[in-house]
Amino acid sequence: MVNVTRELNGNKLTIRISGPIEESVNFDELVGQIPAELRVITKEVPRINSVGVKAWIKFFQGVVGRGVKVVFAECSTAIVEQINLISNFTAGGAVESIFVPFACQQCKSELVGLFACDALKAAQLQIPELQCSKCPGKAVFDDIPEEYLGFLAR
Amino acid sequence: MSRSLVLYSQKQDDFAFAAEVASVAGLSLRRVATLEEAVAPLAAQEGPVLFIDLASQEVLSALEQALQSTVGLFSDLVNGNSFHFISDEDFEETPWLAESPLMGAFILRNYKDPQAAGKRYGRLISASLQERAFGLKGLLGPQAQVQTVRLARSIQKIEAVEAVRGYVVAAGFNNRMASSIANAVDEILMNAIFDAPVDAVGKQEKAAVPRTEDFVLDGRSLVELEIGFDGQTVGISAVDHFGSIDKSKILRHMSKVYSVENYKVKSSSAGAGIGLSSVFQGGASFFYVCEAGVRTEAMIFFSLSESYREFREQFRFLATQFYF
Repeated sequence: MVNVTRELNGNKLTIRISGPIEESVNFDELVGQIPAELRVITKEVPRINSVGVKAWIKFFQGVVGRGVKVVFAECSTAIVEQINLISNFTAGGAVESIFVPFACQQCKSELVGLFACDALKAAQLQIPELQCSKCPGKAVFDDIPEEYLGFLAR
Repeated sequence: MSRSLVLYSQKQDDFAFAAEVASVAGLSLRRVATLEEAVAPLAAQEGPVLFIDLASQEVLSALEQALQSTVGLFSDLVNGNSFHFISDEDFEETPWLAESPLMGAFILRNYKDPQAAGKRYGRLISASLQERAFGLKGLLGPQAQVQTVRLARSIQKIEAVEAVRGYVVAAGFNNRMASSIANAVDEILMNAIFDAPVDAVGKQEKAAVPRTEDFVLDGRSLVELEIGFDGQTVGISAVDHFGSIDKSKILRHMSKVYSVENYKVKSSSAGAGIGLSSVFQGGASFFYVCEAGVRTEAMIFFSLSESYREFREQFRFLATQFYF
């Protein structure tokens, strides 16, 4: 079940979405009133199905259409996949930061690292190795670079 | 004389793959150099399985011409179920194949290990040689235990999806892989619950119903979920009892590329096309078996992988068997 928490600061609303986004989602109800700026954090969204995708696009197209400035931050891997797969997924909103998947070469743990999109572009989409948080091993990027980071090259 | 598997390809990996398929399925393998030779057995004997190296759209055109000049393109001897196209290009890069009546199966040539891929695909060919290719059990290795869950209400889909997620995590798939698999199951169940039901004249009964609606699934509306794991591959099947799936629509959806600017997802329709396309691109293999008016089984397969990248790049196919 999807959950949304709100944090209003002046003209800026930050929402944190958690849980799988599917047919039961009602963004209008969950998000409520939106001021001039909306920051959307999806760190805790593990997956989104096709009905959820359509609800998402419909909601954010409406929000952007009303002149609200939308920024997507801390996008989970599931959300990044959709940004790459669907040209209008962000409905014109900006993507500020994304979680990048890593796998430890030693203990095989699944890890994620948060990267700012501007920093990734500045580094020409080169992802550094990370120190595994569970063992002394190195964690390497675990996806197809040209696909996972494809939206940054569009 | 045993049935034959005719291979039109000069690639050594295709030969190794086809040889294993033939061995598993009990077929004699015959490698041919021309498309005319490939289609010749259609006139002489019933039911060869054809593996065609789909190097370009011209190969498909040449195949159609070869069929036209031998048995006739629209002859009863030409059955899309028998044609398996092997390609380096992904399915969305060969949209003309999705439009062809010859499209029975698409195999992405990313075998990694042609023998292992051939063993897997050989089980599918074995099943396709039976009167009907239904049943998940025969498509997995012999040690697989297949469990069946019957959904009594439409809202049980959510529980079923989460249960599958738990099952595959217990089987050793990591969280991200499990989420991909859960999404795949979500899509095939949604199709079985909402898109499959048709009335006596074939009109869809539930396609416009909100996906949140709770209704009873019984009688012909019964939906079953099968799941099995053989230690390497997990297979999941959504079964409906309408046999109404539209092959050309499914193939069209699977071949769409939603990432290009001139193709946008509409928020107005409830269809699951986008879901199937992303599931296939995400590493799933599909096998659709449908007997018109009787039953559809939408089966998906995922191999256990050490990393998500390996999971995404695994050997995969999109195969169909339709009986009219």
